[in-house]
Amino acid sequence: MTKMITDAQLPDWRDKALKFEQQINQTVLGLQPAVRNILIAVFTRGHVLLEGNVGVGKTTLLRAIAQGLGGDYQRIEGTIDLMPADLIYYTYLNNDGRPCVDPGPLLKQGDRLATFFFNEINRARPQVHSLLLRAMAERSINAFNRDYQLPHIQVFADRNRVEKEETFELPAAAKDRFMMEINIDTPKEPGILDELMFNPRFHDTDQLVSGIAADTIPYYQLNELADTLQRSVQTSPKLRAYALALWQATQDPNAYGVKLADVDMTTLLSTGASPRGMSYLIRASKTRAWLQGRDHVLPEDIQALFPVCMTHRLFLNPIYAYRKEQLLPELIEAILRQVAAP
Amino acid sequence: MIHKKVGANLFAQNTLNMRINSHLQILSLFMLMLLAGCSGSVTEPVSYFAVETPRPFGYVIGDEIAQRIVIETRPGITLQTASLPARGQINRWLNLTQINVEQQGEQTVINLRYQIFYAPLEVKMLSLPGFTLQFAQGDNVLSKDVPDWSFTVAPLRELAVRKNEQHEYMRPDVRPPLLSDSAALMGLWSSCSVSVLLGTYLAYLYGYFPQSRRRVFKQALKQLAKLSEGDMAQALTIAHKAFNKLNRQPLFQHQLTDFYRQHSEYQRINKSLEWFFDYSYHYFFSGKQAVTPQHLEKIRELLEQCRKIERGAL
Repeated sequence: MTKMITDAQLPDWRDKALKFEQQINQTVLGLQPAVRNILIAVFTRGHVLLEGNVGVGKTTLLRAIAQGLGGDYQRIEGTIDLMPADLIYYTYLNNDGRPCVDPGPLLKQGDRLATFFFNEINRARPQVHSLLLRAMAERSINAFNRDYQLPHIQVFADRNRVEKEETFELPAAAKDRFMMEINIDTPKEPGILDELMFNPRFHDTDQLVSGIAADTIPYYQLNELADTLQRSVQTSPKLRAYALALWQATQDPNAYGVKLADVDMTTLLSTGASPRGMSYLIRASKTRAWLQGRDHVLPEDIQALFPVCMTHRLFLNPIYAYRKEQLLPELIEAILRQVAAP
Repeated sequence: MIHKKVGANLFAQNTLNMRINSHLQILSLFMLMLLAGCSGSVTEPVSYFAVETPRPFGYVIGDEIAQRIVIETRPGITLQTASLPARGQINRWLNLTQINVEQQGEQTVINLRYQIFYAPLEVKMLSLPGFTLQFAQGDNVLSKDVPDWSFTVAPLRELAVRKNEQHEYMRPDVRPPLLSDSAALMGLWSSCSVSVLLGTYLAYLYGYFPQSRRRVFKQALKQLAKLSEGDMAQALTIAHKAFNKLNRQPLFQHQLTDFYRQHSEYQRINKSLEWFFDYSYHYFFSGKQAVTPQHLEKIRELLEQCRKIERGAL
């Protein structure tokens, strides 16, 4: 049994977390903001939707995290013919010619599964989405007439945004269960690009990832750490009022004087942020405050996480949907500009 | 033969003597005349006397005629003003409206202005009556005559007053066209506009407009003055609102660098601003900030400094 984590131990855990972050940043270059956000998601126990082009280091990043957490890592590619059963079991004939049924990717490692990467989630069918949603929300799945617990699972899903053919857009309910949607872009700095191209260290991913000390942060202690952390970091009444105002601004931006060019603000949004979304935002903000060495949340914590936690939760009216790539970031920025604290 | 020659010489000699004598006589006569002239100018009491008059024709009823008399006298001779005609009616149709005597060195200038009221039926010759000017020299009295001056007066209209179907003959003159005042009006408008603009700008600088961002801190200080002692939350909120208004959007501590880029004048109080945000964040979000009257005073000082910057006085 693990020992209870107390408030007094939080600074030590913070040091470990920062060291972990440093190691990851040495493994994947030029992704510091994304790494910080993923780290916050890890310590808040939230699932993450990744967005980014191919070959920018998403898998390497996730493998590095899995290596540091020490739990098992599974990866599955989303395809159009992937069925829910493919995640749970697979059947084959063994050497004796007898049919066998073995646990699939989700069940194979049992409760040791810590990091589950679903590549190109929007290529998979809605049936697969619904299975995954249950696994994400309840951290358990039903198979072989019993429930399997996956207490430490954290799902990272990649959404291909280039091709639209043969894809199934994630439903609003599915998107809402992801704590964050993190954009991973190709680094722009020439020095980093040069390093990535020519330094042999980055050519062999396996070797690169193995450079991270295993069990820096034991995955099986993360849930408890997250609970302690959420209890320990405080939110003042003024901060609650600020968060509430932000939430209301996502429901009715017009009431807060948010204006965008060529947009009728009264009809822009079809849905604002959900209570779950706001709860995720506050939890993530607490984790950020802890990583910054504070025991209280500041507006800047919320502001830093507002875009990654909110962008995928706001749904535009269909007439503006084709401009969502441009309008959503503008809306998020405008809301942050309009709401004051204190 | 010789006798003839001598006789001819004598004749020539006599002719020459006669010519010289006649020349001498002419010269002496000329000199006498010059002397006579000189002695005359010394003895004449009035050396110069002229009556200057305008044209002697083309006058109508109501016209004024100016007459100027210029006199130069020896020193010691004075004009007796009593000898001048009196101002007022001279006869039935003539008035002397103005009389003015000027002394310019040895010259005396008399300006007379007559007005005629004669309504002739046709062109008629009239005369300004002459008079005698008197000068006193000690006990002696000298006199000088100003002669009559004749001029012609014409009627204003024909004898018979005619009636015309369209227009009345005796009617006032057409109204004169008005002088153009557009340039003056333009000048007035432009100077008024410039004054209003300058006044508005000055009012903006002094922060007299209710919504002006130049009076953000003026209002904040007013609100702060009304606060009761120790109401720190309200004081901080007032200051935050003032900064938000100045920044046109909420201002947070991590945005101070951008704020200084837009309002570089506030960079001077960077330390006070950093302290304010630190203090406010601790007060509002950590709940562990002790409050003392000095802190409130510090916030008031910060706002006063901001007010000075806003007025351009710092």
